[in-house]
Amino acid sequence: MTAERKAENITAVRMVINWLGLGLFALLGVAAVVPLFLIIGDVYVKGIDAINRLGGLWHFLTGLPPTPYEESGGIGPMLVGTLYMTVLGALLGIAVGFPLGVYIGEMRREKFANVARAGVNVLVEFPTIVIGLFVYAVMSLAKEDLNLYLLDPLSRTISPVGGWITQFIGPLDGFNAYAGAAALSIIMIPYVALITASAYASIEQPLREAAYATGGREFNALFVVLRKAVSRAVLTAALLGTAKIAGETAPLLFTAFGNFYYAPFTGPTAAVPLWVWYAAQTPYEVQIASAYGAAAVLLTIILTIFIIARIRG
Amino acid sequence: MAKVEFKNLRVSFGASPVITGVNLSIPDRSITALMGPSGSGKSTILRVLNRLIELYPEARVSGEVYLDGQNIFDMNVLELRRKVQMIFQIPNPIPNLSIFENVALGLKLNRLVRGRGELFERVKSALEKAQLWDEVRNRLDMPAGKLSGGQQQRLCVARALAFEPEVLLADEPTANLDPENTAKVEALFLELKKEMTIVLVTHYPPQAARISDYAAFLYKGQIVEWGPTKDIFTKPGHELTEKYVTGRLY
Repeated sequence: MTAERKAENITAVRMVINWLGLGLFALLGVAAVVPLFLIIGDVYVKGIDAINRLGGLWHFLTGLPPTPYEESGGIGPMLVGTLYMTVLGALLGIAVGFPLGVYIGEMRREKFANVARAGVNVLVEFPTIVIGLFVYAVMSLAKEDLNLYLLDPLSRTISPVGGWITQFIGPLDGFNAYAGAAALSIIMIPYVALITASAYASIEQPLREAAYATGGREFNALFVVLRKAVSRAVLTAALLGTAKIAGETAPLLFTAFGNFYYAPFTGPTAAVPLWVWYAAQTPYEVQIASAYGAAAVLLTIILTIFIIARIRG
Repeated sequence: MAKVEFKNLRVSFGASPVITGVNLSIPDRSITALMGPSGSGKSTILRVLNRLIELYPEARVSGEVYLDGQNIFDMNVLELRRKVQMIFQIPNPIPNLSIFENVALGLKLNRLVRGRGELFERVKSALEKAQLWDEVRNRLDMPAGKLSGGQQQRLCVARALAFEPEVLLADEPTANLDPENTAKVEALFLELKKEMTIVLVTHYPPQAARISDYAAFLYKGQIVEWGPTKDIFTKPGHELTEKYVTGRLY
């Protein structure tokens, strides 16, 4: 065998090994994605079918949930509750999580920043049901005083505005949308804080010095100048965090509790994941179907936020 | 009187001393070059002068630094940084901000202007002084990151000039530029020294020889020699200085 022949053989062997290797990796890639598409496919096939049977999309998005003996129904109250609590929870989560992230990312010379960082790291992995339980406990303790001294007088003062305001502000029940939003925000805070902190920590020193040289006050340097450098990462974190809390069930069990009707946010409030959890366990076919429809709606909300985050990030 | 005066300045980072007793006075409306090999403490001196050193938690500073006879450590840090602006080794415009915004930002944040008209005038004049106006006048809204490296550095000069500073610190401002842009920045400095004091850090002796009026040679955290640039380069009084300016000490 000539030297050239030998070289050709070696090249051929290498190409085969290369193909085998690439094929294996592709297979692993497929294996990772298959469950995702199976879940999405299953939810949408059954969900869309259910939505059609229960009275069409508009009715499904606005109507009351079906009782076991009805043919049609929707998830209107759940959708409203989820949107309200998610938006509130996300706003609160960003309002606290972002400055906290700046603090633990940028103020490393402060001793307490390390303590805060450790705390946030633990909190991000916390069982969410424990967070719900905690908020429930706080709410139980604080509710009466809060109502007596703050919310009763407040609701009397603002009542001339109109009856609609009592849907939002008034004496609280033990279960209410604000407790739900608080629990969701506690899940969101460490998430936003950690991503903000790592974004700030990755700012290069020349840019940091430029920020302090031009920004003047430390507040300006951190929150105006350097924020421009990290805004994409933080926006992505905020969107992904919002998607995460929109689908959370456990923290709402003790806080929002769930409801079948449109009701004031000061009392038990419905949420889409709570309805999925509840309805899928019932023995009634129509409610199970509505759970699938609700799951499809929830998935749509979350996937939309994900896609926005992908495009913006 | 000297514009800036260092008296027995000492700086250490943690346990390691970086500046070990520097005395230096910097005359007004001139270019003073601080030169020396890497690690001699040149950049640290600049960062003391506008107190950016305070961003480094492990840095310890002692001694006195005077600006117009006033101890800078007693001054309001915002006022100090307004008077003492800085240009950095790596062009560092703020990302995601337009050319205009990069220059305007400091003025807005420090509330140095009243109204949009005045803001525009100040930005325009800063860009003109930095000799960038003609190149960017039609695309002020473009992201600063799209400018070339040399333009970005002149944008940073404009950002500093917008404050109308009394002292301009330049930390190896041409280290990342090609010869053509280096020449532009050097010519710019020669123009600017008519209005302000420039402290130029360089590790490239020929640059100090070309544009500085005074030069100080630093070695291992101390000033070996300082005086008029001409003297330092033609009749150095110290063996180390001679080695350095003739390129035999890095």
